[in-house]
Amino acid sequence: MILEVRELSFSYGKSEALKNVSLGLSAGEILCVMGPNGSGKSTLIDSIMGIHKPASGSILLSGRELRSYSRQELARQASYVPQNHSVTFPYTVREAVMMGRTAYVSAFGEPPESDGVFAEDAMKRVGISELADKSYGGISGGELRLVLLARALCQGSPLMLMDEPTAHLDYRNELRFLETVRSLAIEDGKAVLISTHSPVHAFYFASRGVPTGAIFLKKGAVAARGEPDDIITAELLEEVYGVRARILESDGEKTVLLQNSL
Amino acid sequence: MRKIKNAVILILLPMLCILASLMVGRYSMSLREIFDTLLLPAAADIEHYRVVWYLRLPRSVAAAMCGAALAVSGAAFQGVFRNPLVNSGLLGVSNGAGFGACVAIIFLGGGTFTYILSFAFAVLAVAMSWFAGRVSRVTTSVTLILGGVIVSSFFSALISVMKFMADPYSQLPSITFWFMGSFASVNYVHFYSFIPMTLGMLLIYLSRWRINVLSMGDREAAALGVDVKRYKFLIVGGATLATASAVCISGTIGWVGLVVPHIGRMIVGNNNVKLIPVSMSLGACFLTVMDILSRNLSTAELPIGILCALVGTPFFVYLLKKTKGGGWT
Repeated sequence: MILEVRELSFSYGKSEALKNVSLGLSAGEILCVMGPNGSGKSTLIDSIMGIHKPASGSILLSGRELRSYSRQELARQASYVPQNHSVTFPYTVREAVMMGRTAYVSAFGEPPESDGVFAEDAMKRVGISELADKSYGGISGGELRLVLLARALCQGSPLMLMDEPTAHLDYRNELRFLETVRSLAIEDGKAVLISTHSPVHAFYFASRGVPTGAIFLKKGAVAARGEPDDIITAELLEEVYGVRARILESDGEKTVLLQNSL
Repeated sequence: MRKIKNAVILILLPMLCILASLMVGRYSMSLREIFDTLLLPAAADIEHYRVVWYLRLPRSVAAAMCGAALAVSGAAFQGVFRNPLVNSGLLGVSNGAGFGACVAIIFLGGGTFTYILSFAFAVLAVAMSWFAGRVSRVTTSVTLILGGVIVSSFFSALISVMKFMADPYSQLPSITFWFMGSFASVNYVHFYSFIPMTLGMLLIYLSRWRINVLSMGDREAAALGVDVKRYKFLIVGGATLATASAVCISGTIGWVGLVVPHIGRMIVGNNNVKLIPVSMSLGACFLTVMDILSRNLSTAELPIGILCALVGTPFFVYLLKKTKGGGWT
């Protein structure tokens, strides 16, 4: 198992953000973390990145305590695709992707020129090779998301953490992103933890041959955990999100239809 | 091979500027005379020897070093604080140094004390900003910048107090001229400040890849494998040493640290692996050329701080138009 979270709790000052959260993730699996705004999805990802020190519980990466990793060792285990990225300096796409090699650079060094192949491979893998020499500040939001995915891929880590990566993307770019993530799990054996607002994403992966897990957080606690087909029901959505919804099925793939019930 | 060629160019350019600085002046000398004096000082004409070795060489070398230090610190600060509009005075270096200089001029009669105190207070000001910006054991960029703004204005108030206390006929003019900046009184004693200056520049140069990564933001830099706290400390510390030892020689020349890195960005792009060495070289050339102008444009020497802004601004606008903004638009 690549990632194992045991009874993790964390609080910002007095407000509890995570309560006894446990989960596991193996190579080639995708775990969709869902829940309303402020339910603790980002806090969970931050904890796995080692940004927050847990109040109790433990996180194991490849069987080893998270705390025992140095920043650089941790970056070789887990990479991160952020929810928001503001471009300050217009680096080229290639330069931005190359930053993923930092995990292998000596204390005062820079990536060797031979590392360029990792960046080329990563860009090719997510389909942005033709953007390589463009400014990464001058491309579309969907393309930027793929650049950040390529940067994470360039890190060569077995675990990839993605914090609502498809927010703000149009249909086509969302699909393109999901499809790339799917192939990363199936072909490259990446373990992907992805936080999302849409249960449809979990159905998407599950119905396309990826071992997919789903976990719902509500006010920092696990409300449900299991395979998407088993746990994503109208009752659960009402309990977690407070909305009424119907689960529809078409050609063996499920989707969620929201009802006007507010 | 290309890397070596580029490195040679970056080192040669400032040297050419220094050479030009040795030739030009009220006592004009030919290239041949310069080389004779530099290579065989014992056999040289005594007047040539004095002009080259005691007047022009120390000040042009100091100008080059200070230019490199200010420009590279500015580039480093822009990257680490993710803000293309800042220079190395951001954390109070300039005002701290200014206050130190005032204290030295008023209470200790100026001289060498001006350098020592302005360096000491410049470092103190940054240390104060760092601690003012520390909130619950972490130093984020925003709180650090806020700390810097507050500490800067604190020292700016103290500078006003000093000016108010100063003797208006002797001390106040000294203070005013110090702030305008000049390399006129540089001699070899000031070369001691090259030690912290070089150390600071070296720290920045060595951390240049991490500056790239830090400019992605603290959270992403951490995820990419950078120990954010440690490298921020190293880079800010390096920039502080470099800037403090530069402003204590030259007075406050903030302009170089803001604009020279941008000229570098237009030429080689934003990758700090290239930008950091290029900024050093450009900064060195720029300030050496400005020093030549300040000595030769008029019979009385013009303060270099004024010249930097007057000559540099049109040059910068020209570059901005020529490179179509260098990717910023």
